[in-house]
Amino acid sequence: MRNSKTTQILSYAVIGLLLILYVVPLLLVFNVSLKSFNEYLLNPIGIVKNIEWGNYSQAWSEGNFAGYFANSLIYTVTATVLTIIVSLFAAFPVARGYVMWSGFIYMFFLLSQFLPNPMVAQYKLMLSFKESVSFFGYDTKLGYILLKTTGTGVVFMMFVGYIKSISRDLDEAAGMDGSGYIRYLFQIILPLMKPVIATGVILTAIGIWNDFVGPIMYLPSPSNYPITFGLKEFRGQYGNNWPLLACGITIVAAPLIILYTFIQKYLVDGALAGAVKS
Amino acid sequence: MKWICEVREMYPFGKGFNRFIPLLLLLIPMALYIVFYFGPSILTVIYSFTDVKNLPGSTYQFVGLDNYRELFFSGNSGERWRSIVNTLIFMFVVTIVQNGVALFIAVIINQRLKGDYFYRAVFFLPVVLGVAVVALIWGMMFDPLNGPVNRLYDALFGYQDMFFGSFTHAFGYIIFVQIWMYMGYSMLIFLAGLQSVPKDLYEAGHIDGTNKWQSFRHITFPLIAPSFTVNMLLSIIGAMSTFDIILATTDGRFNTRTMAYDVYKETFRGSLEMGLPSALSVIQFLIILLFVVVAVRQTRKREVEY
Repeated sequence: MRNSKTTQILSYAVIGLLLILYVVPLLLVFNVSLKSFNEYLLNPIGIVKNIEWGNYSQAWSEGNFAGYFANSLIYTVTATVLTIIVSLFAAFPVARGYVMWSGFIYMFFLLSQFLPNPMVAQYKLMLSFKESVSFFGYDTKLGYILLKTTGTGVVFMMFVGYIKSISRDLDEAAGMDGSGYIRYLFQIILPLMKPVIATGVILTAIGIWNDFVGPIMYLPSPSNYPITFGLKEFRGQYGNNWPLLACGITIVAAPLIILYTFIQKYLVDGALAGAVKS
Repeated sequence: MKWICEVREMYPFGKGFNRFIPLLLLLIPMALYIVFYFGPSILTVIYSFTDVKNLPGSTYQFVGLDNYRELFFSGNSGERWRSIVNTLIFMFVVTIVQNGVALFIAVIINQRLKGDYFYRAVFFLPVVLGVAVVALIWGMMFDPLNGPVNRLYDALFGYQDMFFGSFTHAFGYIIFVQIWMYMGYSMLIFLAGLQSVPKDLYEAGHIDGTNKWQSFRHITFPLIAPSFTVNMLLSIIGAMSTFDIILATTDGRFNTRTMAYDVYKETFRGSLEMGLPSALSVIQFLIILLFVVVAVRQTRKREVEY
């Protein structure tokens, strides 16, 4: 079916309008971040005249972003790696039927998507962990990382589907050659699952990096803040100083945007796979 | 103990203790799930019938339906109903507008426009940036004093708004930001559905003389109904249970509280009473369940396979 000229022009017009709605806010933020506070008050919207790079160094040091970035990296990397590993531990035997009642276990894990909101009891649980062991539970890095590690979510379901497409003959050949279970998982199965692992890593990492509620509930001390919470605090501190806040936004968003342009294709495909499978 | 490991399949990685390794490793994710998710979820339901307090070592007793009665028939019940109404408005508007816009844009992008990869990447960007950044970006756009949107309003209509500080409008702007943020996600799911529609069906339809709307209504729509189901589920569950956008913009002030926000607020910053937020979680769960069942029934009816 060929499109007429008018539908094509209309299509581009609609997309163009929407692009404005998505791109202009980002450009405006960057524009404001370069203004001095006085220039912002006089001329909040126009293009910047005297570029004030000093805003960035001020925001960087006063916002303590280096520390928050480090925390966010710790949470994201460890919880993502752990999630991939425990999801593999869960998915492989269930997909192959190497444990009893694997069908039932699959359904039990699937249930995680439909359970009532566990927040109330989870909060009480984290507090009582902290009561009994000081290094674990509420307001500890370890507690938060384990809370965010899950072997039963969307990644698990994607893995089960993918492992079923890997031939069982491979298991038998490896077993014949005397390979143990753990070695087989890490040396043979893991490399074979590269595409689905890339998807899983991206989905999990975005979720943890951008977690906003979790840190507010479970990481109240400033030394534990991740970048999301840090940005929130920064806003609380600088209320209406938008040039400085815009620097904060840019500092947090720029690395993400740069990373995103490189992995964009995987991410778009990955998000799809995740959503459709779930 | 043979029965624990040996099911239908032969286990090729050794005998004796080796047979138990898969089970032992499976216990790790199982334990994480039960301790942090499944257990708390069930406990929340149980808590809703008790007078449990958020104090270490305190005991609790079953109080029947007292918490539920307190939710709806006490002095605060007016506020509670307002949260429920807000939640339903939020869910309906987000589900309908987000999926409507996403489907429309997906159909447009799917006609092989130049630069389609760029467009979808841009529309998906807010999900990558995350709610903290998105809320701050729109906080600047919607700044009542110097924000660009207020300037625009002033120039166009000679009118100024308080945005996130307005008792009547704040909730509407939150809904807008939520849709802005997740529209790209729904659009991607629709695009995946659209790309699986075989092209020759359209040609067959074209020979039979269908117009654009007819071919959309009778060819495209039935075939992408599965992605429609997925999107409906995601946005219903998402809209009913997310409150991070509210937390990040108004923090529940200016009549922007929803049930999910109330659960958080009562658990975390309210009294020591935990039965009340538990009961609220259960009500929230029941409402989600109701709408999910209805939505799945409705969309399943329209699914076809060629």
